[in-house]
Amino acid sequence: MARTVAQGFSWKQFRVMLRVVTKGEQHLDSTGMGMGDDGTEKRHGFWGSLGAGARKVAMGFLFLLLAAMFFMMGCMLGEAGVTPYQAFSLCVVSLVGLTALTGLYQAVNILYFVRDLGYYLTLPISATTIMWAKLAHFLGMSLFGDLIILPVGLGCLFSVGAAPGTWAAMTLAFVLAAVAVNLALVIVCVPIMRFSRFAHDKDLFSRVFGGLIIVLALAIGVGSQFAFQGDGLVSLASGAGGLLSGGVPAVVMGLLCPPSLLARPVVEGDALAVLGGLLGMLASVAVYAAVLSAVARRWYFEGVQALQGAGGKRGRRVQGAELTQATRTRGAFAANLSRDWKMMARVPVFFNQFVLSSLLMPLYFIVIAVVSGAVGVSQATDAGMDPSALLEMARSLTALLTFDSPALAWCAMGVLFFGLFLGFSAYSFTMGVSRDGEDFFFLRGLPMNWSAYLAAKFVSPFALSTVPMLVLIVVALVVLGVPAAAGAYLVAFYLGATATLGLLSLGLGARFPRLTWDNEAQLVKGGGATLMVFAGLLVGVVVMVLPALALLAGVLWNVLAVPVALGLALAIFVAECALLAWWVLGPCARSLSRRER
Amino acid sequence: MIKIDHVSKSYDGGATCAVRDLTLEIRSGEIFGLLGPNGAGKSTLLNMLAGVLAPTSGTIELDGVNVMTDPLAAKRNLCFVSDSPDHLLRLKGHEFLRFIADVYEVPDAVRGPRIEELAHEYGMEGELDNQIQSYSHGMRQKMMIMGALLPDPDVWILDEPMTGLDPKASWLLKQSMRRHADAGKTVLFSTHVLDVAEKVVDRVGVIAHGELLFVGTVDEMREHFRSNGSLEEMFLELTSENSPFAHAAELAGEKDGDASASTEAR
Repeated sequence: MARTVAQGFSWKQFRVMLRVVTKGEQHLDSTGMGMGDDGTEKRHGFWGSLGAGARKVAMGFLFLLLAAMFFMMGCMLGEAGVTPYQAFSLCVVSLVGLTALTGLYQAVNILYFVRDLGYYLTLPISATTIMWAKLAHFLGMSLFGDLIILPVGLGCLFSVGAAPGTWAAMTLAFVLAAVAVNLALVIVCVPIMRFSRFAHDKDLFSRVFGGLIIVLALAIGVGSQFAFQGDGLVSLASGAGGLLSGGVPAVVMGLLCPPSLLARPVVEGDALAVLGGLLGMLASVAVYAAVLSAVARRWYFEGVQALQGAGGKRGRRVQGAELTQATRTRGAFAANLSRDWKMMARVPVFFNQFVLSSLLMPLYFIVIAVVSGAVGVSQATDAGMDPSALLEMARSLTALLTFDSPALAWCAMGVLFFGLFLGFSAYSFTMGVSRDGEDFFFLRGLPMNWSAYLAAKFVSPFALSTVPMLVLIVVALVVLGVPAAAGAYLVAFYLGATATLGLLSLGLGARFPRLTWDNEAQLVKGGGATLMVFAGLLVGVVVMVLPALALLAGVLWNVLAVPVALGLALAIFVAECALLAWWVLGPCARSLSRRER
Repeated sequence: MIKIDHVSKSYDGGATCAVRDLTLEIRSGEIFGLLGPNGAGKSTLLNMLAGVLAPTSGTIELDGVNVMTDPLAAKRNLCFVSDSPDHLLRLKGHEFLRFIADVYEVPDAVRGPRIEELAHEYGMEGELDNQIQSYSHGMRQKMMIMGALLPDPDVWILDEPMTGLDPKASWLLKQSMRRHADAGKTVLFSTHVLDVAEKVVDRVGVIAHGELLFVGTVDEMREHFRSNGSLEEMFLELTSENSPFAHAAELAGEKDGDASASTEAR
């Protein structure tokens, strides 16, 4: 194949492109970056601006909340004797780790999977200019997200009473480190996209990297359970400092993020060392920018061209009896369930977010249980105890779970808190209708049974999120020797909590669906989706407050006898389920049958 | 039969009027072509007929069934091809057709042979096991038309159905429309391709700015304009700034506030 002539950079075209990229570009797969702006069409008028404004305020609040949490963490580190350099190292190592795992996906989305890219190819603009315009946009967005980690270092500076100059130097050093690691990432990304067939299959790429991100999120969740115990965080910080001190890890870190090697003089040195360190960091960023320009000049355009030519897989010829079998009659519910499941499983973003994460969720608890169990066994052995005696001890306690024991009521409260925690995944119900997007209006033209449609929308996420956890709970109940009646009650209570949560979330999603998105990722990523996840907690509180009050009336306020409180709490769930099912299958279904664009 | 009675559709609390007090009757056994420039209100009107949009005022009946009060019964009796064929792209062709057949409750004995027949006619036999997203624009359009024709309801409503079709598929669709109308059923379609309208339709309606400017046969249109010109020339004159109906349209617009204006077929 003839090689494409290398194309130079034009500053004038760069500014034009940057404006276009920032304002009007549509991504085939968005990255979930930004302040709650998910790229969907804005509603006009007062309510439209109020909604967008509220979303931005809520996202800003969430950002500040996380920043404050990290700042406090930094303060704790400082008070535990961690040096600012070690805290900064922890920030940089976290930054590099997160960018390496999630950044490639984001960079590829920004630089390649863009609907307008095919159009850019027809314009007399150099590929290098297009890439730098896109990269500048990407860096601006990712830097904003990366800054969330910096308060760990700043908190440590605060606790040791560092001078303002050190704060400024650390901030600048972190920004340069963030730019460098993103540039390094794109230097790797450009040849991959040029030569890898895997990367040209957007579905496969999204599925693999999306899955990786989900696994990473779960790993962070599991890890944080242990990092926040004892001196785990302090060990992490000193370990991060050790990574940058020398040897192979320092070389790897130096390649991925050259400024990280100059962090010590910047954070701990005198004024001259700080200045020298910052200049060195700046120079390393400039070198990486030059390398990226050279790489992009050579391969970016060819990579984009290769992507445009990538095609889908072909199926077999289906005819005769096989076709008859494949198209045999189903009822309205089965037809909707099958369609919904296929759409969810075949769209990589939906698969990762709603299928994979739900299936991996039990793993999260299994890992915690196994690690905690192993630690418990180890401690018991050290104390000269037989580990099996621990299990017997636990079983002797669970044997006391009867309907007149407050312990069962407290266990039910535990189930409620667990159900509340599951509120984080309730957005798979909330997004049920929104997942259809523009297809919804196609369905509106059909003689659709909207109750069957919503029932199908309930079953898929319920089966995915509730059933695997249910299996886990039943196994735990059996292992711990919980009496059958009490165990059945807790299972029924769990099903009541998750069903009401799911029904209310689904109904709310049906009353206020978001159907005008350009790509699936807009729906499940970005600020709006983040807020939706937290809103799931509120929904959980709404459905669980009455059963919780009934239980507390029995065990805390002694207004009701414990068996009455337990019965009342379950009865409330049953009543809520019935009411919500009527609401979803009746009024919500009717509202969908009338919904317009 | 399609009966549209004083139908209006406005957005933004009445600030934008897409269809204005439109009255029209399309008889069983005829092919009716709806012509109009971009943004004239054709798709809005067809979407209202299909029950996707609700009229702001007025009523629509399909074979005596009110679309608004009994949408399910009305929709079981109609099929609608919208102006975009990009729907349910992750389903395979046969999965899409099965879903449509299930929704319309097409019996097993009918759907199998009908799907094979349609797939053969439209040259899609080898594509049914592929996801719709892998189809070209024209193939997607064929799939949407196959989905619409599969349940074979009495009323066909097609929004720009020829867009993207190859000549054979286009010819096939026109044949199907003719057969359907000859069987005493109703076909309403919109198009920009005036030659198509001229050759296929029994009557045409010209719509501009949400108002129906003319309804009649192509011959009546020629007679009205006392012209031997093409339909294209008449269409341009009819929808231009100097349209013989422009003044009437303005008057109708002025009266819009008291809802007394009517743009029944003149």
